[in-house]
Amino acid sequence: MPSAVDARGIVKVYEGKVRALDGADLQVTSEKVFALLGPNGSGKTTLMRILTTQMPPTEGSALVMGHDTVRGGADIRRIVGYVPQEMSVWTDITGYENMLIYAKIYGIPSESRRQLIDEALEGIGLSEVADKLVRSYSGGMIRRLEIASALLISPKILFLDEPTIGLDPMARKVVWEKLSSFKREFGTTVFFNTHYMDEADLYADEIGIISRGRIIRTGTVAELKRSVGGEVLLLELEPDGIGPQLMEQLRAVASVKEAVLGESELSVIADDAETALPGVMRLLDGSGILVRKVSMSAPTLDDVFLKYAGTRLESNSRIADIAKVRQTIRRG
Amino acid sequence: MTPLRDVIVMVELELRRIRHDRAELYTRAVQPVLWLVVFGPVMGALRAIPTGGVPYTDFITPGIIVQSMAFISIFFGLTVIWERESGILKKLLVTPLPRSSIVIGRSMSSGVRSTFQMLIIVPIAMLIGVRIIPNPLYFLAAIAVIFFASGGFAAISVFIASIMKSRERFMGIGQAIIMPLFFASNALYPVEMMPPILKALSSVNPLSYIVDAVRSLLITGDLAQLPMDIAAIAIFDVAMFIIASISFKRIIK
Repeated sequence: MPSAVDARGIVKVYEGKVRALDGADLQVTSEKVFALLGPNGSGKTTLMRILTTQMPPTEGSALVMGHDTVRGGADIRRIVGYVPQEMSVWTDITGYENMLIYAKIYGIPSESRRQLIDEALEGIGLSEVADKLVRSYSGGMIRRLEIASALLISPKILFLDEPTIGLDPMARKVVWEKLSSFKREFGTTVFFNTHYMDEADLYADEIGIISRGRIIRTGTVAELKRSVGGEVLLLELEPDGIGPQLMEQLRAVASVKEAVLGESELSVIADDAETALPGVMRLLDGSGILVRKVSMSAPTLDDVFLKYAGTRLESNSRIADIAKVRQTIRRG
Repeated sequence: MTPLRDVIVMVELELRRIRHDRAELYTRAVQPVLWLVVFGPVMGALRAIPTGGVPYTDFITPGIIVQSMAFISIFFGLTVIWERESGILKKLLVTPLPRSSIVIGRSMSSGVRSTFQMLIIVPIAMLIGVRIIPNPLYFLAAIAVIFFASGGFAAISVFIASIMKSRERFMGIGQAIIMPLFFASNALYPVEMMPPILKALSSVNPLSYIVDAVRSLLITGDLAQLPMDIAAIAIFDVAMFIIASISFKRIIK
């Protein structure tokens, strides 16, 4: 099956200074749900804005559904749906009117307009509030309206930038249920950016990990977890204990594949955690480091991220996220 | 005629917004009404300004309509800044709308607000005794002049928005552009009264042509200069649309 997205060597430098993307390569399979996972500032939004033809890359090129994002921009814009991270509907008109304006922008003929809009609003569960001002909607309802308007043209590929940022868990669940049912029905490729691992884990068929402007690994969730291998030991420590030399010794313990130090916890990835644990404990004890708590688990996407990007994805509170987003925008 | 269709969609959007919130139309009418009701009669009583036989308040009514249009349009960029901070502009960029249609369409939607403003000011002017030429064709033509001229000023505002990315700075610049243009135009006094330098400036001031066109259609009925006024407004609009379309790239970065 041809790739829905095929990006090669994408570099984006803003105003000759900020290098947001640093040679990103990415292939996304058609008709899959793809998650681009990475922390804030890793280049996710920039890559999506290039793929959706909003701006050209500084270097490199990308194909979306076979069209070049620079030369074939007009072709791409006719077949993609896009929901930016920030709110993208007019709040001083009704939900129905928002859909109507977008239907007219897309040139949907007047005889099928009303029915298409009604179906889209029905499908996303907004029929009852269609004639209310968007100003009175909750965050989750606004997101669903945005998705409905992106789905109006039955896009071949749907781009969602942090689709559930700022939403409570219930609203997140509803958004994803609607997206999944739409995807099942139309076979649309879904490409979404997120920094929530659980979201990528639950809803994505394939995941790309992005860090500092590069795609460092792609694969299915299972593949990625398997590639971390074995199990993960998480040790909570008294802070400020471990030097580089001790880290090397830890990595040399039997069955240990990788050891990464966080702020106050040590993650040890091992083929067999039970075999590794005594050796790890002995080393820590011998260096006088106090271990408060040990837990063992199967690898999560966070461990995958840790292994390939060398850091953990921070889990900021959602409100802080939005504040940060707004600030970034204001700074321009 | 896709570009025309695009502009009509943007105009429809603006009409729908106004329908849901009319309060802004009324609050924005306060200032022009003060000019009409206070400034006009007081200055008129002095009989210091030669208006060619037209009562002074009648003489300045077109100027006040045009001033109100210019303010509405120049602050339209605030809407564009807001749409940029939210995701609306990003989303519009990913629709089949050509970028020039986005710029011209968004600019022309300020023409909708200016037209409504005119529809509020004219009846008030008539109430206080301003004699408007009772010819509906002339009146419709004056509306068209205001509508299209508004697009040109809104395009200036899009250009300013591409440079000034904060609202506060934007407000200051907007005032600093419109007030000098207003005072250096024929809105409040005939050009013949001005010192030579101002007279020269007035001949390249778009507001003078707009005021002249509206005045001839609403008050004097002397259409001799109208073709030249319309040509000047058309050149102004096209030039501003081009500048705004070019600068638009900066906004979306």
